[in-house]
Amino acid sequence: MNNPRAQLPARLDVGRILIYAVLILGALISVIPFLYMLLTSLKTYGSVVVDNFWPWPPFGTEAFQWSNYPLAIETIGMDKNWHIPLFFRYLMNSVIMSGVIVVGTVVTSILAAYTFAYIDIPGKNFFFILVLATLMIPNDLTLVPKVVMVYNFKWYNTYQALTLPFLVSVFGIFLMRQFFMQIPRDLYDAARIDGASHLRYLASVVVPISQPAVMTVALLNFIWSLDNFRWPLLVTRDENMRVLAVGLQQFWVGDGSTQTQLLMAFASMIVVPVLIFYFFTQKNFTEGIAKTGIKG
Amino acid sequence: MLSKKPLAKLIAVLVLFAVVLSACAPATPPPTQAPTTAPAAEEPAKPTATTAPTATSAPKPTATTAPTATAKPVSNPPTTAEEVDSITFSKKTLVIYWHNRPQKDQDMLQSMLDEFNKTNPYGITATAEIAGASYNDVYNKINASIQAGVPPSMAVAYQNQAALYRTQDAVIDLTPFIKSKKYGLSEEDLKDYFPTFLASDANPQFKGETLGFPTQRSMEVMYYNADWLKQLGYDAPPTDWKTFEEIACKAAQTSGKAGWAFKHDASNFASQIFSRGGRILAEDGASYAFNSQAGVDTLTFIQSMFANKCAVEVPVSERNGEQNRFAKGDVLFTFGSSSGLPFYQAAVAAGGKFKWDIAMLPNTGKPAVNLYGASVSVFKTTPEQELASWLVIKFLGEKAQTVKWASATGYMPVRQSAKDEVIANFKKDAKWGPVADSYAKLFDWTQYAMVESPVAGYDPVRALIDTDLMSKVVTDPKADVKALLEAAAKKADAILKENAPK
Repeated sequence: MNNPRAQLPARLDVGRILIYAVLILGALISVIPFLYMLLTSLKTYGSVVVDNFWPWPPFGTEAFQWSNYPLAIETIGMDKNWHIPLFFRYLMNSVIMSGVIVVGTVVTSILAAYTFAYIDIPGKNFFFILVLATLMIPNDLTLVPKVVMVYNFKWYNTYQALTLPFLVSVFGIFLMRQFFMQIPRDLYDAARIDGASHLRYLASVVVPISQPAVMTVALLNFIWSLDNFRWPLLVTRDENMRVLAVGLQQFWVGDGSTQTQLLMAFASMIVVPVLIFYFFTQKNFTEGIAKTGIKG
Repeated sequence: MLSKKPLAKLIAVLVLFAVVLSACAPATPPPTQAPTTAPAAEEPAKPTATTAPTATSAPKPTATTAPTATAKPVSNPPTTAEEVDSITFSKKTLVIYWHNRPQKDQDMLQSMLDEFNKTNPYGITATAEIAGASYNDVYNKINASIQAGVPPSMAVAYQNQAALYRTQDAVIDLTPFIKSKKYGLSEEDLKDYFPTFLASDANPQFKGETLGFPTQRSMEVMYYNADWLKQLGYDAPPTDWKTFEEIACKAAQTSGKAGWAFKHDASNFASQIFSRGGRILAEDGASYAFNSQAGVDTLTFIQSMFANKCAVEVPVSERNGEQNRFAKGDVLFTFGSSSGLPFYQAAVAAGGKFKWDIAMLPNTGKPAVNLYGASVSVFKTTPEQELASWLVIKFLGEKAQTVKWASATGYMPVRQSAKDEVIANFKKDAKWGPVADSYAKLFDWTQYAMVESPVAGYDPVRALIDTDLMSKVVTDPKADVKALLEAAAKKADAILKENAPK
């Protein structure tokens, strides 16, 4: 007797098909804006104006406009002091800002989280709740006081203003603490018995095991700091202090205002540092904390 | 000490509370949301009835005499022209000017200021800085700097933004400086400025104080596809709303496209109200007046256009949407800023390649145009610095400078004597040449200029007009426009009262 259901491969039942359909839909929804950005960056202005989705062969006769990328860089302008395209100056500023913030947040998160996880001090839990409570304060509320502080410290238009206010991440502390608390206590006891100090244990055991959490904190802070627009706008002035986000907005309302294809080329170039960073950290996301080191 | 389980629950609740509270945190009230095409189109200035400006010969640059020493104390800010006259510069003065223009305009502006720095006899050094890419950015930055106690010397600001700064006692009245015998503008100078431009900065909320000074202006115009108009049997653009509706609907019905691409915002609404003899704000500035018959007629018209499928709504998220649709040949009419002229030109040249032009919006008998434009406000610092800022503004308003600025940016110069030179420059320019004749028309229309609302708190009212009025009539053909207008006007008056000077 023919059973239609039996003709399907054993794994492809309706439920699985539905799951795959939802996942594919979700993936498409996430990817389509980036695809639109990339495709638009390769069109001519005419194709953008007439909204031609695919002006290239086989449906059109245009070539891929790779020249939009150098043209976008040229349109942004030149750094008068360094005589390099401003785009690279923006990129450098963004990398410096993000790099310092990432290093700062990782270091402070690790140290603070270790204290909250391992060191018994009076009022530890109270302080931890106090730290978490700062998450309740909306950013808009602290924006003006932070700007006032920047002016008072004479940090306006400097790298200090871009980086120092963000060297501590409460979310990072929380994440790392939770991760540290999952590390088997046996490791700590063993290390203590062997005479390891807290710092030694942290450096030799905890941090190596915590690579996934460290990379998560690093990546999230990297993306956030690279995307940060309002703060750099408020605390910088000169074109050679701008970061990519501010530069993109300047471009958006300036020469790139109607040249959408150049704007998309600029935006595509901004995504590249994030992709590079992600490729280096992706592996650590998927690693568990299976490496406990406990035997017997 | 708490045991782990309740502690974990408490932490989870706190974190959840923090997330919910952060999500519910009120958004920062959006600053000016002027309509934008290509370069930023600006919000309009205060409406005034004006007679046609009389042509004057170009005034010579104002001669300045060297300052004489005097010890007379001056109030801060100076309240009379005589007080301004008595100010002297005892030391070098630095003027910082915040604006939102792109880099190439910054470079040109700074080169003009460098000339001022070299030639002024007062030891004033002026520096221009890009404080943001939009008026919103500059507004946010200025608010932060006011709180920090370090505002710039002067900055671009819409009239309603200047009014908000004034409620914080952060900007000054420029009237004494304008009237100063020693440092102010002569009668000849004042006559050379377009009267409607000057009048737009007199603020009714502050008894007519001049809270800014114009350096550029543009206006809302109607872009039309001349070739398509001709195909429909019309030789000229419509001058009344009935004909506009007739043409737009005929275009939609015969082509399956839209007669009118409508990106609704408060400035569009204002333009239509003005063209029907109405106002946004009452003349005394004490209440909003858009719920008049002109408001009813405007909303009814928009409602009808959409109900009959003669118009298409362009989402705000669709960047340059009305321009691109126009350039493609998908719509017959759009409304937009005159500063978009070369961008429409480039778009049409790349797209539909048809003949097009601009005209004033249709009207009901009395022409009116919505005049946009941020001005430059001077912040309260010291009398010397305030005077220095005024002298910089005065310099930038001189014929040579306003010609340069208008020729580079596409805005209108602020002096009538600059008109011919700017038009001649445009005719020679590759980008502006094809639209120079269209640009020239703007000068004839300045006599009909009206402005929206230069009062503090207008930004939330703009948002209110868009969400409570425009968005409703576009989507609901049965909406009661009178009721909508009354409700919106009531809310707007409450906002006006809340933001009024104490």
